Amino acid sequence: MAIFGLWVINKAGGLVYQRNFGDGLPTLTSNEYLVLAGTLHGIHAITSRLSPTGSSSGVQVIEGESFKMTIMLTPTGTKFVLLTSVTETTADVILQKVYEVYADAVMKNPFHTPEMPIRSDGFDRRITALLG
Amino acid sequence: MTIYSLYIYDRHCTCVYYHDWQRTKQARPATEGGILPAVSQSVSPHKHDSVTPYNPRNTLSSLSGVVIAVNEDHPNPQSNSRGPTPNPPSQSQQQPQSGLPFDEEAKLVYGVVISLRNMIRKLSGKDEQFVNYYTSTYKLHLYETMSGYKFVMLSDPNVDSLRFVLRQMYSGPFLEYVVRNPLVPMDSKQRGIDNEYFRTSVDRMVRGLSVFL
Repeated sequence: MAIFGLWVINKAGGLVYQRNFGDGLPTLTSNEYLVLAGTLHGIHAITSRLSPTGSSSGVQVIEGESFKMTIMLTPTGTKFVLLTSVTETTADVILQKVYEVYADAVMKNPFHTPEMPIRSDGFDRRITALLG
Repeated sequence: MTIYSLYIYDRHCTCVYYHDWQRTKQARPATEGGILPAVSQSVSPHKHDSVTPYNPRNTLSSLSGVVIAVNEDHPNPQSNSRGPTPNPPSQSQQQPQSGLPFDEEAKLVYGVVISLRNMIRKLSGKDEQFVNYYTSTYKLHLYETMSGYKFVMLSDPNVDSLRFVLRQMYSGPFLEYVVRNPLVPMDSKQRGIDNEYFRTSVDRMVRGLSVFL
């Protein structure tokens, strides 16, 4: 039960927020995170087309051996990605709360430009309180 | 809960085997030259109705001994076709198709699997394997062998990890009927690994699973 990281990806596939928690996963350079977020954005689109039955959502959870990535897609196309341990069961709930914090601290901030990187102390603080 | 399909890729990124079970959305047949011969008769470019494909290598009759031969994808046109030839419109009405030809679909599956494998490897910082992912309608499982063969299975999203099944498939039918079969050229880039014994054996194994309903 551990949280390793949080990403926010805008609707164009750009990484607008990235933060690590704890030391469960190694820290990469910001460039590498940008590339991974872009890749994830593409994979999300492809996975919805591979459904063997009916129409499908994009990928929701990706599991490795020691961690998993839970992806939440909002109706506006923003993706929230939470990196946790495989046994974490509350990732969905946490992401929902992150979305609320995002709506309050980022979208209601008149100084924030939509689709641009999130640089807001208020958001940082509330995320720390929620996940840190 | 069910199993939808199985793809096997070799280390050259080519799909060498395909098998599907309870897919409601069938892939369209591959375009000419899109896939290797002997991958799967159900998705190869030409649909043939002959039950017993003509096999030039199969010189023994099936009555005289056990023949673990390679299925030919392109049966001789002169071989007897049994049953009426279905016309394309009625066939497409029977099975709703996904709109993607099989070769395109196989490439997309491979692309997703490789990208996710690299992503997991990068994020973990060590040689960690990608295990599975799921969406609202299906779950994809991956097992990669030391020799670079990738076993990819699509199942219902509520199924637990099927990695052990893919491993058993490798250590059982795959080793027995593909690796130890002198008529299956491995790593050839010329043809797939489909043969009657392997297909039957995989089919029996999957149908025997508790999650296969």
